[in-house]
Amino acid sequence: MSLIAATHLKKVYGVGETAVTALNGVSLQVEPGEFVAIMGPSGCGKSTLLHLLGGLDRPTSGSVMIDGHNLSDLSDAKLTEIRRRRIGFIFQFFNLIPVLNALENAALPITLDGVKPAEAKARAAEWLDKVGLEGRSDHRPDQLSGGQQQRVAVARALVADPALVLADEPTGNLDTHSSEEIAGLLRQVANDWGRAVVIVTHDPRIAAYADRIIFLKDGAVVDETVLEPRGSSNGRNAELAGR
Amino acid sequence: MSVRNAILGLLADHPRHGYELRAAFEALAGGAALWSVKPAQVYTTLARLEEGGLVAQDSVEQDGGPEKHIYSLTPAGQAELADWFASGVPAEHQRDEFFVKLMLSLSTEVASPYRVLQAQRSKLYQELHDLTTRRNRADPRRELAQIFLLDKSIMHLEADLRWLDLIEARLDDIRRQPLPRPTPRPRGRPKIGIRNSRNEEPGYKANTSP
Ligand SMILES: Nc1ncnc2c1ncn2[C@@H]1O[C@H](COP(=O)(O)OP(=O)(O)OP(=O)(O)O)[C@@H](O)[C@H]1O
Ligand SMILES: [Mg+2]
Repeated sequence: MSLIAATHLKKVYGVGETAVTALNGVSLQVEPGEFVAIMGPSGCGKSTLLHLLGGLDRPTSGSVMIDGHNLSDLSDAKLTEIRRRRIGFIFQFFNLIPVLNALENAALPITLDGVKPAEAKARAAEWLDKVGLEGRSDHRPDQLSGGQQQRVAVARALVADPALVLADEPTGNLDTHSSEEIAGLLRQVANDWGRAVVIVTHDPRIAAYADRIIFLKDGAVVDETVLEPRGSSNGRNAELAGR
Repeated sequence: MSVRNAILGLLADHPRHGYELRAAFEALAGGAALWSVKPAQVYTTLARLEEGGLVAQDSVEQDGGPEKHIYSLTPAGQAELADWFASGVPAEHQRDEFFVKLMLSLSTEVASPYRVLQAQRSKLYQELHDLTTRRNRADPRRELAQIFLLDKSIMHLEADLRWLDLIEARLDDIRRQPLPRPTPRPRGRPKIGIRNSRNEEPGYKANTSP
């Protein structure tokens, strides 16, 4: 079963003359362990799509299934719970809390969810290790580089053990080298740690880390390309071309 | 040109056999998969260099086997090599097969230019993915030079992909413009004194007449 199954998503902002159709019939599926990049010109609806997939906003029509839950059927309270437990978010500007150290920042989502502080910290410490930040637990965000702050944000996104990680321009504020490190880490999150990862990016070098790139234009999917491991016989692309 | 100059450079280090030159060149240039040369090309180049007095050939008797030819650099060859090192190499302005394909798709009904763009983008992303994987697997403690060569290709692919986005964004505008056509060449023998060689060269100019 696909981890994400979005069908005929439409999103219209506003009403009447000033209405803007941000998404116009987008369908897509993402499997566990898959790393997908969404690309397209500014204003084509990438962030809108990510918000709908993450349950941060509701579609005008169409449906989003995440991990077996149809988000449209859920009450706001239930939606918030799914979002907190099953979905991790990563943002362009890291969004860490300045007065908390790396460990406290990474532990925050489960601390808020009622996990005991000692256990929350132990789990956060494990993720900080995995993202390559051992020894930085007690550094505050202003004592970390941009790339390190984004690693804290990746640990924070994973601490609740989500099935899905969503990131809007996660490397938009980083230099080329740190960007590629974060892209490599996100690839690991998907391919090695089995999460579904969906990112929005404008950067071809970051998109090249993905397993699949989806191209949006004017609120619709206009193209899709599967990046095969080296030397494979392009099975998925052949399949896509045949559809 | 590059193979010729590389041979001069390799011989400056020490005299070598033809087959040794070929293997050394391929290793330096990034591997045979990237830039392979045929033995014949090496030997023709050596013959020309010898004719021009830039390299000299010694025959060495081998006990039992056929005699071997060893090439070395002459003083003229050394001067030529120094000139090469002292001057810059022009940037590669590649003839672009994709561009020709795109222009043809605009002028025929055979293929949609959007599809042509998408196919190209897919292909370039696949290459970028492969190169990135290779670069990330290379060991910076032993293969730094190779990593930088891969980086060069990665940066060029990135530029090509951004260029495709620019074209895609303006494709409808491009379609509205007339396709480039050769300017008609005057028939018969050109009249000396009237023909302006710059302006009448068959060129790559947009023809505004339908
Ligand atoms: N809250 C909103 N209210 C009204 N219009 C909106 C809102 N959010 C987005 N839009 C409009 O919807 C369209 C898609 O916006 P979206 O933010 O999804 O684009 P994007 O692809 O993420 O662009 P960018 O690459 O610049 O971030 C745009 O025309 C935008 O102006
Ligand atoms: Mg956006």
